Amino acid sequence: MLRMARSLPEEVLEHVFSFIHSDKDRNAISMVCKSWYEIERWCRRRIFVGNCYAVNPSMVIRRFPEVRSVELKGKPHFADFNLVPDGWGGYVYPWIAAMANAYPWLEEISLKRMVVTDETLELIAKSFKNFKVLVLSSCEGFSTDGLAAIAANCRNLRQLDLRESEVDDPSGHWLSHFPDSFTSLVSLNISCLGSEVNFSALEHLVGRCPNLRTLRLNRAVPLDRLANILRRAPQLVELGAGTYSAELRPDVFSSIAGAFSGCKELKSLSGFWDVVPGYLPAIYPICSSLTSLNLSYATIQSPDLVKLVSQCQSLQRLWVLDYIEDIGLEALAAFCKDLQELRVFPSEPFALEPNVSLTEQGLVSVSEGCLKLHSVLYFCRQMTNDALVTIARNCPKMTRFRLCIIEPRTPDYITLQPLDDGFGAIVEHCKDLRRLSLSGLLTDRVFEYIGTHAKKLEMLSVAFAGDSDLGLHHVLYGCENLRKLEIRDCPFGDKALLANAAKLETMRSLWMSSCSVSFGACKLLGQKMPRLNIEVIDERGPPDSRPESCPVEKLYIYRTLAGPRFDMPGFVWTMDEDSALRFS
Amino acid sequence: MGRGGSTSSSSSLESSNYPALTSRSSSLYQQNRDLSTDLRLGLSISTSQQGNPSIPSESDWPPIKPILKKALAAEENECDSATFFVKVYMEGIPIGRKLDLLAHDGYHDLIRTLNHMFNTSILWAEMDGDEHSEQNHVLTYEDKEGDWLIVGDVPWEMFLSSVRRLKITRADI
Repeated sequence: MLRMARSLPEEVLEHVFSFIHSDKDRNAISMVCKSWYEIERWCRRRIFVGNCYAVNPSMVIRRFPEVRSVELKGKPHFADFNLVPDGWGGYVYPWIAAMANAYPWLEEISLKRMVVTDETLELIAKSFKNFKVLVLSSCEGFSTDGLAAIAANCRNLRQLDLRESEVDDPSGHWLSHFPDSFTSLVSLNISCLGSEVNFSALEHLVGRCPNLRTLRLNRAVPLDRLANILRRAPQLVELGAGTYSAELRPDVFSSIAGAFSGCKELKSLSGFWDVVPGYLPAIYPICSSLTSLNLSYATIQSPDLVKLVSQCQSLQRLWVLDYIEDIGLEALAAFCKDLQELRVFPSEPFALEPNVSLTEQGLVSVSEGCLKLHSVLYFCRQMTNDALVTIARNCPKMTRFRLCIIEPRTPDYITLQPLDDGFGAIVEHCKDLRRLSLSGLLTDRVFEYIGTHAKKLEMLSVAFAGDSDLGLHHVLYGCENLRKLEIRDCPFGDKALLANAAKLETMRSLWMSSCSVSFGACKLLGQKMPRLNIEVIDERGPPDSRPESCPVEKLYIYRTLAGPRFDMPGFVWTMDEDSALRFS
Repeated sequence: MGRGGSTSSSSSLESSNYPALTSRSSSLYQQNRDLSTDLRLGLSISTSQQGNPSIPSESDWPPIKPILKKALAAEENECDSATFFVKVYMEGIPIGRKLDLLAHDGYHDLIRTLNHMFNTSILWAEMDGDEHSEQNHVLTYEDKEGDWLIVGDVPWEMFLSSVRRLKITRADI
């Protein structure tokens, strides 16, 4: 065997490895033997770091010298909902600085929930001669000045995607920094930008990039400009419209309708702020080929939504506001038999009374009619165990199920029981479930169900649920594939955490806020588990100014090879061996 | 992965038989025991300090992204910044004015603006009895059906949905 392994020349192995793309498989290859580890590390081109603090840039560069594509994630998921205070961390500059030296041929950078500065963008723009793809998802800290640097310097840029980032954008002139000779753009997503871009620069850019496939405009692009843009890019596959509103005029209507009809390749639509329903028929001609429709910002009422979705027979993904109501979801179930993913967002999340007729029945209808449904995010105000059981039985192939009943601790509204059995049915029937978010009134029993059945579960989000540490223990003990656990406002304390400390090294991260984990337990974990960073986040001041038994405000635990980080703000403390001594 | 015979329902925190971590190294198993021992040896672990169930603040619940919250709020504000201009004529003056009804929050506000615009005192439906004698003009409006009615009888929102234009006529009825 050994002789055979040695007789395969490196080039052959490298060639074989070049067909293996997934990180998991590549990691497995690298564990076979030392020579495979060496060969593999020299030919790995893409790396994904799910937690930027789990490893430091020099470790990555040392092991993988020839990387072309890097994906990094920073803040934990709950940062999306304002639970992580500003200044917590996630700064990408150190990574870019290290890579500027080590990877001159880097082509792609994808960042999620990281702090990016204009200085960072300028460094990217001048360091990587063959730079092609920049994706900044839910990032912050930069302005249009940084974007101007990218536009001006990245001659081979193919993709600039700012999805949901917070950009300080005083001026729309950064677009004009793309030189006239620049024609390589394939994908541009500026939907998150608040202010206007220079429209003629935009039109000229769109017109001179023949490979443009994806264009997501921002709200500041008015409807009458859209027709011009579409006419210059009839090859578009994905479009995000801007504001979809204007005075109803037949000439404007026919201009828009004509422009849409000219786009024979359109498969995905998004945007549509401030919709004037009279202009919706302009998109009817392309509805039948749409596979993805994101109407999360569109205030369209259910009669118009019904008319729209009933023409989208190829629809696979729908994101929509709860204006769709149960009646619209019934239409969806009837007409969109290929539907795989549904997200329903609340139009009035803070209203005490429902403003629309969207109930558990809507989701049940979709589960009955759409047999391929496997990904759900549903905000509603009422639910029953029966409905959840029905949904579970109808969709055994569910992989992502996130339910948010808006009022915390809401019971089954008919039986007034907790929703333990309903969610229990979900985890029992949906054996491939990878992601689950719970809501409503829930006892420790639901966690017992989850620990017993949810063996493929990778991410669990819990809020206002459970009775005792036993709940948390069931999950940590039973969910073998758990990678990310995020918990808020649950009565979970020290016992389950300490009893399952080793489990935490098998996960990417654990977030607990407004729970009952004491400072003493955090210190103990920090002492005993050197390969975990135990971060106590507390804006009330140093944790040692309160008794050891006092619960910490927020706790973020993640495995790491890099040790404690040094960029923490004043309200974050890492519990390690030293600090345990310092604090005692 | 082999966790022996124990199912979750029989696993318990108090049990001294730890869940069989058979796939884990014994040192980790030891670590678990150490933690449990430390636990029992007097770390003062408090019971839940939260007597009352916590109520979330609007800034972090329900879990929707700020970008969507902002867009929804802006949609509402869009309605606030919409305008509704109607023509206003005063009897005897051929040139009329235009007035944004949505810039006013009710009849009192509207009358105040018109009084100022036309330099007069206007009578309308809701006025107190003892002010009547001083009014020079009456405010009327044309509704969607073409009828002329005195302003102030119906709720403001209903008025907004039916008014087409305003006329200020002399009060010597």
